[in-house]
Amino acid sequence: MLPQRIKKTITDNPKKLANLIDLVNLPSTLREFVGHSQASRLGCFMRVWSYIKENNLQDPNNKNVVNCDEKLRSILLGKPQVDLAELPALIKLHFPKKLK
Amino acid sequence: MGKIPPSFRPAITYSLVKKPPLTEASSSIQTPTPIPPLHFPKKSSKKNDDKLSRKPQQSKQHPAIQNLLESPDLPSAKKIFNSIAATTKATLDLRFHNALLQSYASVSTVPDSISLLQHMVKTNPEFSPDRSTYHILLSQSCRAPDSSLSPVHQTLNFMVSNGFKPNQVTTDIVIRSLCEVGRFDDAVELVKEMSLKHSPPDSFTFNFLVKCLCKCRTLSTVYGFIEEMKNSFGIKPDLVTYTILIDNVCNSKNLREATRLLGVLNECGFKPDCFVYNTIMKGYCMLSRGSEAIEVFNKMKEEGVEPDLVTYNTLIFGLSKAGRVKEARKYLDIMVEKGHFPDAVTYTSLMNGMCREGNALGALALLEEMQRKSCSPNSCTYNTLLHGLCKCRLLEKGIDLYREMKSAGIKLETASYATLVRTLCRAGRVAEAYEVFDYAIESKSLTDVAAYTTLESTLKWLKKAKEQGHAL
Repeated sequence: MLPQRIKKTITDNPKKLANLIDLVNLPSTLREFVGHSQASRLGCFMRVWSYIKENNLQDPNNKNVVNCDEKLRSILLGKPQVDLAELPALIKLHFPKKLK
Repeated sequence: MGKIPPSFRPAITYSLVKKPPLTEASSSIQTPTPIPPLHFPKKSSKKNDDKLSRKPQQSKQHPAIQNLLESPDLPSAKKIFNSIAATTKATLDLRFHNALLQSYASVSTVPDSISLLQHMVKTNPEFSPDRSTYHILLSQSCRAPDSSLSPVHQTLNFMVSNGFKPNQVTTDIVIRSLCEVGRFDDAVELVKEMSLKHSPPDSFTFNFLVKCLCKCRTLSTVYGFIEEMKNSFGIKPDLVTYTILIDNVCNSKNLREATRLLGVLNECGFKPDCFVYNTIMKGYCMLSRGSEAIEVFNKMKEEGVEPDLVTYNTLIFGLSKAGRVKEARKYLDIMVEKGHFPDAVTYTSLMNGMCREGNALGALALLEEMQRKSCSPNSCTYNTLLHGLCKCRLLEKGIDLYREMKSAGIKLETASYATLVRTLCRAGRVAEAYEVFDYAIESKSLTDVAAYTTLESTLKWLKKAKEQGHAL
């Protein structure tokens, strides 16, 4: 099973966990949305997801799709509609891999 | 399964040390409002009622003790004791002194605590410390940050010089205190010394120490210790000791050693009891060796040992694990016939087996049967079922069950959460997967990180599978 294998690599690899929960300096677009200058990738995701829920942005006909408002569009590549399934990947774009 | 009940210990040993501070603590909670202390003694001295006068006084003073003796400074502790002794007209009893000493000893060093005790005896001639007073000092000296045993020796010598020869209770307190703070080697050293000089441990203390050693030392160390105690001090391992050893080797999957120990047990003239058999059976079950587990069960019957609830639960668990669900089901019926009441563990084991076989509907039917017999399922039961239903691609039934769990506030386990999320995503119901994610976090079933990682990796896997055109 693939997902279990991915999960295992994450628990085995502390670096992967670190890039999920470490606080980083946010790029300016995201900073405006989140309201802090620093956040973790996890915190960011939670903030976006709760923003979607609070503002009822899920499409009433297909809950899997989010109709972005202007604020949300600014951080999600300007897309008018986003699939919930690609939300984590889109947020990850704001957190580039650190170069050593 | 097959564990030694903790109630084997006589309560008296512990109560000597632990009870006084505990009752003080509770009385201080009951009366948090301070009332001028002078008021009560006056009243009671007029009444001349001994019982009534003592009670309110104690509850008034002890909060003060707890607050006042926070500093390890000896002169100030003495001063506080003096002032309490001077302002109180009724006689201070042993419990008061013990409580005061306990509170001081927990923040101070051993020599200072001894000085305080000596000071108490000198100032208040009516007070004569008894064994429990010394035991308080002793248990604190074992917890001293000192890495050597000198504080313990100091206290023991002090005790002996005041005419109290250490007895089995003393040994027990020393051993338990040392083990509590993880000083197992010191405990072993001291138990030998105590056996030589004062009093050998009773079987409870001895077995406690063996159990502690089993957890953190190699098997050969434990055997060495048992052998030495037998040869030097005549302390023979009993049935409980062997049960502990067998349990330990079974947990490390060393069943050959367990069988050998069973032989030794018989040689020593012990007849294995239900606990021993349960332990061995557990060992086989953990390795999914169903036939051997049944053999143990039959042997029990041959030997005339009546199987108990744990025996049946272990056997049903083991057979289910080994994929022999039909037989497990048969034992459930036998168990009922013999007058045992199957509990949530029994049913959950069986459900687990059925789900592994792919018979999730059968497991669901078992849930109904279980509820009909007024046995209430626990969170493990629900999680097992949810996991099974999702694995068998019975998503609708799984969602029904999930809703039931959610309304009852039952937490999700990692495996059942991951399976549910994966099954939902695979069916293209990502929004519902997010809902489950929310519930997992809200109910504190999983940490945010664990819940998110699962969700993210599932979605990633889904995308990949779609790209590669796999059938979902």
